[in-house]
Amino acid sequence: MAKKRNGNASTPASAPRVDLAEVTRVLAFMSEHGLQELEYSSGEFRVRLKRQEATGAGPSAVAHAPAPSRAVPPPAPPAAESQNRTAAAPPAQPADHLHTVKSPIVGTFYASPTPDAAPFVKVGDVVSQGQILCIVEAMKLMNEIESDQAGEIARVFVENGQPVEYGQPLFALQPA
Amino acid sequence: MFRKILIANRGEIALRIICACKELGISSVAVYSEADRNALHVRFADEAVCIGPARAAESYLNIPQVISAAEITNVDAIHPGYGFLAENANFAEVCEASHITFLGPSPEVIRMMGEKDRARREAAAAGLPIIRGTDGVVEDEHAALRQAKEIGYPLMIKATAGGGGRGMRIVRTPAEIVASFRAAGMEAQQAFGVPDLYMEKYIDRPRHIEFQVLGDRHGRVIHLGERECSVQRRHQKLIEESPSPAVDEATREAMGARVVAALEKIGYSGAGTVEFLRDSSGEFYFLEMNTRIQVEHPVTEAVTSVDLIKAQIRLAAGEKMDEVVPRVVFHGHSIECRINAEDPETFAPSPGRITAFHFPGGHGVRVDTAMYSDAVVPPYYDSLIAKLIVRATDRSEAIARMRRALEMFVIEGVKTTIPLHRRIMDDLQFQRGDLHTGFLDHLLESRAR
Repeated sequence: MAKKRNGNASTPASAPRVDLAEVTRVLAFMSEHGLQELEYSSGEFRVRLKRQEATGAGPSAVAHAPAPSRAVPPPAPPAAESQNRTAAAPPAQPADHLHTVKSPIVGTFYASPTPDAAPFVKVGDVVSQGQILCIVEAMKLMNEIESDQAGEIARVFVENGQPVEYGQPLFALQPA
Repeated sequence: MFRKILIANRGEIALRIICACKELGISSVAVYSEADRNALHVRFADEAVCIGPARAAESYLNIPQVISAAEITNVDAIHPGYGFLAENANFAEVCEASHITFLGPSPEVIRMMGEKDRARREAAAAGLPIIRGTDGVVEDEHAALRQAKEIGYPLMIKATAGGGGRGMRIVRTPAEIVASFRAAGMEAQQAFGVPDLYMEKYIDRPRHIEFQVLGDRHGRVIHLGERECSVQRRHQKLIEESPSPAVDEATREAMGARVVAALEKIGYSGAGTVEFLRDSSGEFYFLEMNTRIQVEHPVTEAVTSVDLIKAQIRLAAGEKMDEVVPRVVFHGHSIECRINAEDPETFAPSPGRITAFHFPGGHGVRVDTAMYSDAVVPPYYDSLIAKLIVRATDRSEAIARMRRALEMFVIEGVKTTIPLHRRIMDDLQFQRGDLHTGFLDHLLESRAR
């Protein structure tokens, strides 16, 4: 039975010759200069490279919102679906060397122990394994969320008072 | 009317409830486990919240996670579907305490009908016929032996906390009773966490006939006719139909009236099903009551044209029965086949990726499913992947329509019970309507020989 494939970008029949050595040089250049995105053309050869890091607040990074918008990062849809949905990325993956602390429960994220107190942690703080990073409130119970690894807080993905779902990324840690 | 409803379920029933919500202009919230990220109920709900890993105990059965999801999405009500938390009185209470309407009867009624021996007593007190049996839990083996003598053989030992056909034993002679009692107790403890057992007379070759009911919040209950669900394998229903070939209009009215009176006395609200066994002489005996919407509800929808889920929601919102279901008229015949992702011969579960999926259509055919081409049937939940329902002017046309629909149902990549259903449609005894709960087991045995 014929099945429509997801409309992922496919190489057109007659593509310009791709010079891999050239691409590698461009990538090294980007890395060296800390570039996120670069478009390079040379004669017929043209390439655009974009670093897929958790820097941009991609729509899938913080997938849950209380109001009408979709709460779930939309991964692979049914095959018959149109091209739109295929562009959706999986939940924001930080660069490989970072560890993500995810919410183990559904609830509301609070950065501080009480409304007027300072946040438990901020970017740059060094935390130990088991250290409390935040509170997720569920059914009127304040659940203290502990860090599962030691390291330095590289990123906070959620805002104070934001609803979170199971598995939602809360913090990115640079492991010690 | 509710603004927003959370559906505490998955699969085809979650999708079914979303359909009703959409038609009523109610916002829907889906909850899902990590295994169901790509599920259709997640896609079609207005909002979705991931509530846990694949295992049901950590997700769909996880009350704090479900309630928390309801709180952060600010819903008015929760629809529990069937299975999972649908008949969990504790969950209904937690909903109430959280000021969320639970779409079902009160926790007290759920509890009453959830304890099977208590349900028997309440049913009897409310005027329904019951099978002769013990008046409560059987204390021990000695009591079992003594009470069995009063009830008479053959009899059935059943778990009070049981259901779905588990924790049951048939005992034909006094010599077997002690051993069976012990074994059933252990099985009940393992399956339901409660070893309590009760006993009742065993009816040979009964027909399983159940009545669909609806109750509003103003004390009014109605019935929407019966369904025959005798085609079962190991007490799991495979095929259901309405009307029952064994029930005529007079019987329907008489039994229906008794059911309505009993439930009005109990104070039932919401959707529910009262299950009976009917013996060969035509006597009905109360079996149990399910205080929820059932898998086979589309069969009743087909012969009455009543949207049961919309009715359920509207009644829970406080609307009166007269406005929601002013009258019930029966038309034609309907049959449903439950299509499971199982080997049609060994019944071993067959999870995996569906590589082709095309379901039949045409006049009088309905398919309720959350499956699609390229979807994955997960191994963590039940094996039901689609319900195929036909309606027609009479039973023989319904059977012909079901045969043709089954033939045109394409599911590849996983094994399904479609071949078995086709075999049953071709069976002469089934075509005669000569059914009882042992029919399918007998058919399978004779094929194996």
